[in-house]
Amino acid sequence: MNIILLLIPLSIALLALAVWAFFWAVNHAQFDDLDTPALSPLAEDRPPAAGSGR
Amino acid sequence: MNLHSPPLHPATQPGLAWYRVPEVWLIVVLLGATVIGSLSLVVTAVRRPDAHIAVPGDVRGRARFRRSRSSRHRCRRRPADAVVVARCFHCHEPVPAGVRLSARVGGGERPVCCIGCRAAAEWIDGLGLADYYRLRSEPAVPVEAAGAYEAWDRPQLARLHVRRLAHDRAEVVVLVEGLRCAACAWLIERALGAEPGVHEVGVNAAARRVVLAYDPERTQLSALLSALARLGYTPHPLTADAIDSLRQRETRDALKRLVVAGLGAMQAMMYAVALYAGVFDGIDPAVRDFFRWLGFLVATPVVLYSARPFFDGALREWRSRRLSMDTPVALAIGAIYLASLVETLRGGHEIYFDSVSMFVFFLLAGRMVEMRARHRAGDVVDALARLQPPLAERRGGEGFETVGVHELVPGDVVRVGAGAAIPADGVLAGPACRVDESLVSGESAARPRSPGEAVIAGSLVLDGPVEIRVERVGADTVLAGVVRLVTRAAGERPQLARLADARASRFVVRVLLLTVATATVWSLVDPARAFAAALAVLVVSCPCAFALAVPAALTRAVAVLAARGVLVVDADALEALATADRFVFDKTGTLAEPQFDLAASEVLRGSRDAAIAIAAALEQGSDHPLARAVRRAAGARALPPADELRHVGGAGVEGSIDGRRYRLGRAAFSLGDAAAGDDALVLSDADGVVARFALAEQPRSGAARLVQGLQQAGVVCEIVSGDAPARVEAMAARLGIEHWQAAAQPADKLARLGTLRAQGHRVAMVGDGVNDAPVLAGADVAVAIGEGAALAHAASGVLLPAERLDALLDARTIARQMLRTLRQNLNWALGYNLSVVPLAAFGLVPPWLAAIGMSASSVVVIVNSLRIGRAAPQPDAARRVVPVRTRERTA
Repeated sequence: MNIILLLIPLSIALLALAVWAFFWAVNHAQFDDLDTPALSPLAEDRPPAAGSGR
Repeated sequence: MNLHSPPLHPATQPGLAWYRVPEVWLIVVLLGATVIGSLSLVVTAVRRPDAHIAVPGDVRGRARFRRSRSSRHRCRRRPADAVVVARCFHCHEPVPAGVRLSARVGGGERPVCCIGCRAAAEWIDGLGLADYYRLRSEPAVPVEAAGAYEAWDRPQLARLHVRRLAHDRAEVVVLVEGLRCAACAWLIERALGAEPGVHEVGVNAAARRVVLAYDPERTQLSALLSALARLGYTPHPLTADAIDSLRQRETRDALKRLVVAGLGAMQAMMYAVALYAGVFDGIDPAVRDFFRWLGFLVATPVVLYSARPFFDGALREWRSRRLSMDTPVALAIGAIYLASLVETLRGGHEIYFDSVSMFVFFLLAGRMVEMRARHRAGDVVDALARLQPPLAERRGGEGFETVGVHELVPGDVVRVGAGAAIPADGVLAGPACRVDESLVSGESAARPRSPGEAVIAGSLVLDGPVEIRVERVGADTVLAGVVRLVTRAAGERPQLARLADARASRFVVRVLLLTVATATVWSLVDPARAFAAALAVLVVSCPCAFALAVPAALTRAVAVLAARGVLVVDADALEALATADRFVFDKTGTLAEPQFDLAASEVLRGSRDAAIAIAAALEQGSDHPLARAVRRAAGARALPPADELRHVGGAGVEGSIDGRRYRLGRAAFSLGDAAAGDDALVLSDADGVVARFALAEQPRSGAARLVQGLQQAGVVCEIVSGDAPARVEAMAARLGIEHWQAAAQPADKLARLGTLRAQGHRVAMVGDGVNDAPVLAGADVAVAIGEGAALAHAASGVLLPAERLDALLDARTIARQMLRTLRQNLNWALGYNLSVVPLAAFGLVPPWLAAIGMSASSVVVIVNSLRIGRAAPQPDAARRVVPVRTRERTA
């Protein structure tokens, strides 16, 4: 059971990391618009070329 | 240290493993249910029901709102239509039969309806962005001729709207009209990103804002705005302070605080479960203290960071000597936290770090939900951006120059063209004219103005150009005053929430007094138990249930309605809607919409078909109800190509067909003869009247079902209309409405509402929002149809989708459910506290039970609120009527 002495501090460190990452994301506008970015993987990133329509 | 070493406290039921104790599992289940319940509520609120429908305060958004709701119906109609008319590849409007335009997109020829759409489609394809047509979920807005944007390059304007970050980097925030779905955002990002000199394009589809970062030395703001306009999106640059908008900061802060509280609460609960297990199974004091300090560690950021708004609010309330919800909440959080810290330090009985974290998390979740509803309601900045023209033509040394509106000073003389909006309050200096003040005053009839009379900013000049001497500008204008009123109303918390706050704060004050009393009495009787008992009282009496009772029910109702196309602008309106026993309807535009009566129309020259075709050609691309009626009347007739189309706001349209100039509108407009009184539409050319179209009315879709449904529910309906008695009576008879009043001016309508309210009725007024604004404001609850003017909508509490008037029935059902749930919530919170607090005060409630009780009371409130909308009729029930309505409409 002594493993909790290692695991609990580890979990708290991970928690702190998660909170920091979340703050970073919020401050970098990751949560401002939740709809538009969902489309980017559907779009093709090709430069202007003929016949990309269908 | 070993958790499972033989119990050191043989007294605590030796041999009984913690996992065999039912209470432990009860705790675990309840904690889980609490988290799931509150998360689902947050998800309901965060899911952005407004992403695909326009928000109030959006003039053109109204039209889109209606259209997007109707797209489903349109799909059903399409098979019949597709046989007859082709649809524009870009905007999906029917292509007028005479038009033979096509655009080369994706290597094929696609039919388009006008030159604007062709240019947009070919440009989009040329940029390699034809994917847009595949990705989009809503058709585009018909592209209008792009305006001139050069004036935006003026340094005076740029200073106000553009933020210079470096010598080669400037930022501007643009509100764009026509941004309908995420594909639009994608298109704008790609198309503008390809412009030279653009560093970065950020599009927020929900807020309909585009943030452009560009190099002012390589490109001009006007070039970027023109590019947006060419794509079919009308740009409105916002002032620079919109970049760090208050709202964005508020949302981000709330999100961060909520997540910290949520994560902290989860961790604290985990450690608490270990401690609870220790109570039953026995635990080494060293291990116990270790877990307590861990609880302290995770609860501290929750209390010090996440709960800051409550402490700040309490401080504000303290300074202004006023007691609201924040003070007791802050006191409770502070007391529980400090008490737990003291207990941890001296190794006392119980700690409550988990309870306090959870408490903060719940309260923040409730606030978040409330904030979302408030933000959705108050998009007033957008309304102002559209109402007041950003530019004005000022008389300078030589002729007129285009300047920004903020550059105007009292005494300037500005010129306003026909159909344009007046930029500032002033007096008419030029020729007599008529103005349309419907956006500001709600009066739809054109008002004649002679030189020397006052005109107000935001109203439209119907015949011009005229000259106006500016008297008041900017924040002093009547328009700005109206907007301030609306903003304040939107910023205020709903009445219901305020009442609940007051009730809760009275309750919490009593609890605090009781806590002090408990501590005092116990310290006399048995000082060792004083602290635990006082703490149990504080924890078990959950202001949380009170604090969540109203927002949870309100938000759930608002979200459910938004999903059905009904927009609740003002949460108080729901209460009034639920209790209203009189529904007063305006007729024209609300219950009925205009339709051509072909039998009664007279054609003086040429054939009837030709006259109708000309009229429809003139009205193509307009969203006015009359224009739609004209297009319906034309049906599948071939339309001649019309050009030089010019819409004169509120009056009519003119354009030329086959080289002849035609005007279509009321007689006053098309004949230039103000005396002609009847309301027929007159088509005229240079030689006089061509045709006179009589108008009839048909009930709007869903009107009959709405009236029937209301009457079945025992609600009395009546019509108060400005129209002629015979027509009002006919419509009333058709819909089965007994009470009606005709030829009523807005003042008469207000008087009628006043009489009804004086008789003790709760009155709901349903109007079309354009000419009913003052009347709407005089009712207990105002319901407007989702088309019309922004500020008129501001007077209303509920907005209905135009295609489905009967959605009001759903809205009423849900509002009643909401009210019932809300009462249940409040009664539950009260009943729970009344029964438990005395027990806690006598020291009969063990602390772990107090924690369970606190969580359970909140869970009950949240789960109860989530029931709203479950039993109500599904939207499918309403949709099933569609084919019938379609037939009615095209008949």
